[in-house]
Amino acid sequence: MKARSTVGWTALVALLTAILLFPLYWMVVTALVPTAQVLSREPALIPALSDVSVRAFVVAFTRKPLATWLGNSLLVTLGATMLSLVIAALAGYSLSRFRTRAQEWTGLTLLFTKMLPGSLIVIPFFIMASTFHLIDSLFVLMLANAAVGVPFATWLLKGFFDGIPRELEQAAMIDGCGHLTAFAYIIVPLARPGLAACAIYLAILTWSDFVFARTLINDQARWTVTTGLVSFIGEHAIDWPALMAAGVLTMVPMAVLFVLLEPFLVSGLTAGSQR
Amino acid sequence: MPRRASTLARRERRFAYALLMPAVVTVFALIAWPMYLIVSISFREGKSLNFAALGQRPFGLGNYASVLTDSATWHSAWVSFAYTFGTIVPAFGIGLGTALLLNRVFPWRRWLRSLMLLPWAVPGVMVSIVFLWLFDASFGVVNYALRSLGLIAVDVAWYTNESTALIAVIVPTIWKAYPFFTLTLLAALQSIPADLYEAAGVDGASARQRFANITWPGIRGPAVLALILNGLWAFREFDIIFAATGGGPAKATETLGIRAYNEAFGYFYMGRAAVIGVLMLAIAFVFVLVARRELRKEFF
Repeated sequence: MKARSTVGWTALVALLTAILLFPLYWMVVTALVPTAQVLSREPALIPALSDVSVRAFVVAFTRKPLATWLGNSLLVTLGATMLSLVIAALAGYSLSRFRTRAQEWTGLTLLFTKMLPGSLIVIPFFIMASTFHLIDSLFVLMLANAAVGVPFATWLLKGFFDGIPRELEQAAMIDGCGHLTAFAYIIVPLARPGLAACAIYLAILTWSDFVFARTLINDQARWTVTTGLVSFIGEHAIDWPALMAAGVLTMVPMAVLFVLLEPFLVSGLTAGSQR
Repeated sequence: MPRRASTLARRERRFAYALLMPAVVTVFALIAWPMYLIVSISFREGKSLNFAALGQRPFGLGNYASVLTDSATWHSAWVSFAYTFGTIVPAFGIGLGTALLLNRVFPWRRWLRSLMLLPWAVPGVMVSIVFLWLFDASFGVVNYALRSLGLIAVDVAWYTNESTALIAVIVPTIWKAYPFFTLTLLAALQSIPADLYEAAGVDGASARQRFANITWPGIRGPAVLALILNGLWAFREFDIIFAATGGGPAKATETLGIRAYNEAFGYFYMGRAAVIGVLMLAIAFVFVLVARRELRKEFF
């Protein structure tokens, strides 16, 4: 009886998951079947396997500089994530171990960045970038993404450092280790799961960024993949299979990272985990 | 001895501030200074394509007067509220339902949970594009399904029809927003002690009584916090609406965030855009003040 009910429960949850994920399923299907079948008044919800083709992916890569866009996104994501992670790890550690005036301000800063609209903060970024002739600079794009990532990452990492007993670095310091050395060699290795979760979170945010990328980058060769995807829509007739193929390629790295991050999400970083 | 202790304390303090320095510089240079620029631009009248010279334009309250008396601003404020509440209420329902389903031990739970939460990781622009395709007037599966069920006779042009466009941008937003509720509510549900339910079972409490007297009190705090955070997120959401409609048709989906962007980068009225931004922050601030009790535990 008990076994039957848990299997029934799995079936129920699986059915609901299938319904909720239908948009992603449909994106993949559209990318894999020929255009003639896609542009149909009565599309087959489950296409025949023999119809599957990767033509749309080829089209996406040849008609648009998709590889360049994916490369730019990767570069900006890696840069912004590393930058925010280093800054936030140092600050998070300081907040976790020392009482300073800054502690009173972290909560407020975090809350403020949660209220701050991206379409607002991008205005001064744009003005500063155009004043210094830095429009089209991927480095500026990294900085913009890092700016919104640092407060949350700091708060998250402070939580992870709080969970590591201070006695560990105190013991190392009694043995003659400097404070910074103790941090680098004792604390950082122990905080690796937290740092990984935080890095994945920051990477997902930066990869998803659209408002900064669209505003701060004009040159098509420097667009990120989100700006590139949107450029498909402006066209006279949208090439849906190619667009969905590009979408699949944008989504795959995020899906992989997310499955890695997900256990951390449930176990710890609940409240603030939404930009 | 006391002298040595005090130099040690001073060194510790210096070390603490040195570690904080990069973050403080980042926050000042990339958040506080830009905010100062926004406020100062909001007082500069007229428009200029020479952004470096914005500071030389006449100072005054003209932008505030023109934005606050413009009926389009209040229309946008209304769209923002409709969009925010239209998103968080259904998303909360789906989140609560899925969290209750996942709060059990059953085979493949880890994988189903990951899959259910996946929409959270989908970039906003992509969410928008996928739903543009699902809601496509001629070839979209949504119209196909509605036609098959006999609910519509003529295709609905979801995104180009003024009366349906807001719904068509709310649906994808709900889809992206629900996992956050699932996540927070699931964590809260798992913190409720199991013996409470056992005791209720012994006393013969019904499912509804168990939910009202054990489950809901146990998740109320996190639920309210999640509603506030998701509400703040939906209120300033930009990517989904901008990619789908850009605020159209006829401003039907022009939230304050979209309007600020269009004023700034469509018409280059930086001052007016800044005023709308300040207005958005003011509304968010009022919202936060109302909810300060729930937020205090989390942020202060």
